[in-house]
Amino acid sequence: MAETPEWARLTDQEVVLQARAGLQAAYRELIRRYERPIFALLFRMVRDRELAEDLAQETFIKALNAIESYRPEFKFSSWIFKIANNAAIDHLRRRELDTLSLDGSPHAETPEAMQATALQIGARQESPLDTVEAKELGGAIEAAIGRLRPEYRSCILLRHVEGRAYEEIAEILDLPLGTVKTYIHRARNELRLALAHLKE
Amino acid sequence: MTQAPGPHLSPDDIDRWLDGTLPPGRANHLDACHQCLELARAEREMAEQIAALPLMSPAPDFADRVMVAVKVADPFAIHSLDAARRRLFGSRRALAVAATLTVLLLGSMAGSIAWTLGNQDTLASIGSWLLAQGAQASWLALRGLATTVIEQPWYEGVKVLAGNPARLALASAVASLAYLVGVLALRRLLALPTQQVAHAGL
Repeated sequence: MAETPEWARLTDQEVVLQARAGLQAAYRELIRRYERPIFALLFRMVRDRELAEDLAQETFIKALNAIESYRPEFKFSSWIFKIANNAAIDHLRRRELDTLSLDGSPHAETPEAMQATALQIGARQESPLDTVEAKELGGAIEAAIGRLRPEYRSCILLRHVEGRAYEEIAEILDLPLGTVKTYIHRARNELRLALAHLKE
Repeated sequence: MTQAPGPHLSPDDIDRWLDGTLPPGRANHLDACHQCLELARAEREMAEQIAALPLMSPAPDFADRVMVAVKVADPFAIHSLDAARRRLFGSRRALAVAATLTVLLLGSMAGSIAWTLGNQDTLASIGSWLLAQGAQASWLALRGLATTVIEQPWYEGVKVLAGNPARLALASAVASLAYLVGVLALRRLLALPTQQVAHAGL
């Protein structure tokens, strides 16, 4: 019987090789590594928890079923973020979304659905007061990001939430490097203006 | 008031400053330019606030739901056959074309078998005629070859050699020896090296 590799020590490329060899655990490891960043990106792009889950699921199914076509000379993260971003942009093109609602999906029809699709903020904060303040500021930022053009949104999220390099963002979004820098700069400007009232 | 060194920071400069890669020569500008310093600090604050957005996770059964729809790679699969199968069953039109071709192929095979069974005499006579023609052509070719050999200038020498058993035996021995030497040389050339290759890490 084949030995189970120590996943934490393997690079994405090595995990992909294991997946190509037919090891189901390697697929699960790739999902484990990217489910949160992909879901977070998609959620902030489409602003609907249920929809973001559907798109994330679609992204992983597409990527993992096409694992044979992945070229290891490129970063796996770039590849999967590209698939996710395309899924989000395709969706946004098909359907214009309303502004962000922290209370739940704009498409939810019942209070239960609103609750189920509401943004679930993680536990980075310590005290209840901190939580309230952070939720206010975080909510305002989320709302402001939600009002950005989708291209700006992808750029700013990949840069400042995912910490991707400019070159990688350019690769993910199929944009020239200069355009990516311009988009990020403009997005930060727009966000600063949109949040100026919080400072007053 | 001191004069700020160099022009105001560009957006690229501010990005480099945020990354901590702005050269000290340009970073000195911030010490003296209040306008650039304020802008750079605001950009940093914005970047930090975005980076501090809450972490989010999909539902706990997310991986299970994905895996239900994922086809785990089969390393022993013949991918060209898989691709052909996918293409074949990819659309109704492709399936209809494949079905038509299959029916045509099977139909022509069945027709061919039926005709063969119904015309055995004809086939036998065609076979006999072809056999006779083939034998005649072979005989003519053999005669032509023999005539050509006899007309060669070296034929007489070979005839004399074959007439003397001692010379014939000597020539055969020389030829066998040359063949043996050739085989041994070829074997030596094709043999794998017995020494390890230094960089292969074996």
